[in-house]
Amino acid sequence: MRNVCVIAGGQSIWGVRKATQRDIFQEAGKACFQDNPAVSNKDIDGIIVGSAYTERCSFQTHLAPLVAEYLGIQPKNLCVRVELLCATGSSGIILACAMIKSGQADVVMVVGGEKLYTPQRWEINYSELASVDHDWDSSMGLGLPPPVFAAVAKQHMKLYGTTEEQMAMVSVKNRRNGLNNPKGQFREEINLETAINAKAIVPPMKLYDCCPVTDGAAAVILAAEEKAKYLTDKPLVYIRGTAQASLHNMSANFSNWTTWESLRIAARQAYTKARVTAGDINVAQTHDCFTISEIIEYEDLGFCEKGEGGYFIQEGKSDFGGQVPVNTDGGLLSCGHPFGATGIRQGIEIMRQLRGDAVKQVEGARIGLTHNLSGFIAAHTVLIYGRDLE
Amino acid sequence: MNSALEGKYAVTMDMYPLESSDFNRIHPFYDHLKEGRLTTTRCRDCGKKSFPPRVMCPHCMSENLEWADLPVTGTVLVVTEEEVGVPVGFETPLIHALIDLSGELSLFARIRGCKTGELKEGDQVKLTVFPVDPLPVDGKKGVVILQERVFFAFEKL
Repeated sequence: MRNVCVIAGGQSIWGVRKATQRDIFQEAGKACFQDNPAVSNKDIDGIIVGSAYTERCSFQTHLAPLVAEYLGIQPKNLCVRVELLCATGSSGIILACAMIKSGQADVVMVVGGEKLYTPQRWEINYSELASVDHDWDSSMGLGLPPPVFAAVAKQHMKLYGTTEEQMAMVSVKNRRNGLNNPKGQFREEINLETAINAKAIVPPMKLYDCCPVTDGAAAVILAAEEKAKYLTDKPLVYIRGTAQASLHNMSANFSNWTTWESLRIAARQAYTKARVTAGDINVAQTHDCFTISEIIEYEDLGFCEKGEGGYFIQEGKSDFGGQVPVNTDGGLLSCGHPFGATGIRQGIEIMRQLRGDAVKQVEGARIGLTHNLSGFIAAHTVLIYGRDLE
Repeated sequence: MNSALEGKYAVTMDMYPLESSDFNRIHPFYDHLKEGRLTTTRCRDCGKKSFPPRVMCPHCMSENLEWADLPVTGTVLVVTEEEVGVPVGFETPLIHALIDLSGELSLFARIRGCKTGELKEGDQVKLTVFPVDPLPVDGKKGVVILQERVFFAFEKL
């Protein structure tokens, strides 16, 4: 099977946008092509478009040909939309990878995004009820995730002694990392005191423990290795291993709220395929939708022992200069979280880190990881990128 | 002016299930709720109980299922209190709790009738069933039939 490289990536400005869904998809496409002038829209033979809320918020289905038309792409091998809520973008990358490996397509753009703010600002607290099991969890008033992650945090604090201060450290780090990210939603540093004293959303989750609601899009271009050699002058970045796992959907079937078994499975699968271990990862973008998420992800990705995630952040092990810098571009907490685009944004940051041209560079990074959780912590997606194949 | 918006932006979402036999094969669940029972399906072939109720056993693929009662009281394991961003149609504060139904099932359920700070770990809660938005169903000759619906939550004992 063929090797797959990521050869270009770019994103729109993220935030509360005075723009339509199709406007921000165009911005992301443009930024992606600008990243690598050696590849043009004429080279693309497949497009995978990601969006979770296109029907709900933009009343638009059959989105892939629409986005292709706006980007001047006329795909001959693949033109489809994917959706896995918060992991939509990384799901698109996994499928593009499989299509290229198998010879179904040679050069595929994966572009994802969301336009979540509608003229009715209160609607966003309501639309997200469509994100979990509609008949059983939404009808309990779940959907906006803070109650779920507050319940996770309370259990993790009780079991392992994790503190609100340790959680706040995650948001302080990620805000600092996102300070100079020109496309991120938040570019203001916060200190520990501000984070700890912020207003409660669902205790113990406070304002800065929660990622925001975001309009935005992002795009990457993947190519078979032999094509990639001619379509970029930059160092090649390979996608070495990908995996997704899901063991439940509805809340009643979520058996362990503090050890995310499907994340452990997805990580193990991805590490095996990439022939690496957790200790080999030089830089990671993990799904910090809430500060407690990032802490549990350190544990279940194998960066530290179970229950030690709080100490991992406290001791600076996930910061620059530490064991594995995490969310080096600011993560969801700074950049924001347009569901269809997040996994792609993470992939772009890893691509830049491995090429050596990131805004905040991890020196000498050779192996990178991205991770998303989605829904009621119901599916986990892990991708491993590398500068080398071995 | 032809108008479908009628001065309102199209934001409505039905947050409750289609419960009647016209739309749903597990409609007995909602009939049982009206009797104060919390039920689910059990497979007559492999004996396994699943929640939520099904039309097919996810373990052995059998369609030979029967209804089984679940406990209607439980113990609170974790409490969450949502004061900000509560979705329209729900009260503020919106209280949820992870509850243990006598070891049979854990549910992350809405707790009605509680103020902030009132519900604690270890408290007992019981099932409560209440009417929700009726479903407007198109009948013949432009008649709209309102189908009554119920849903459930828990309340402090």
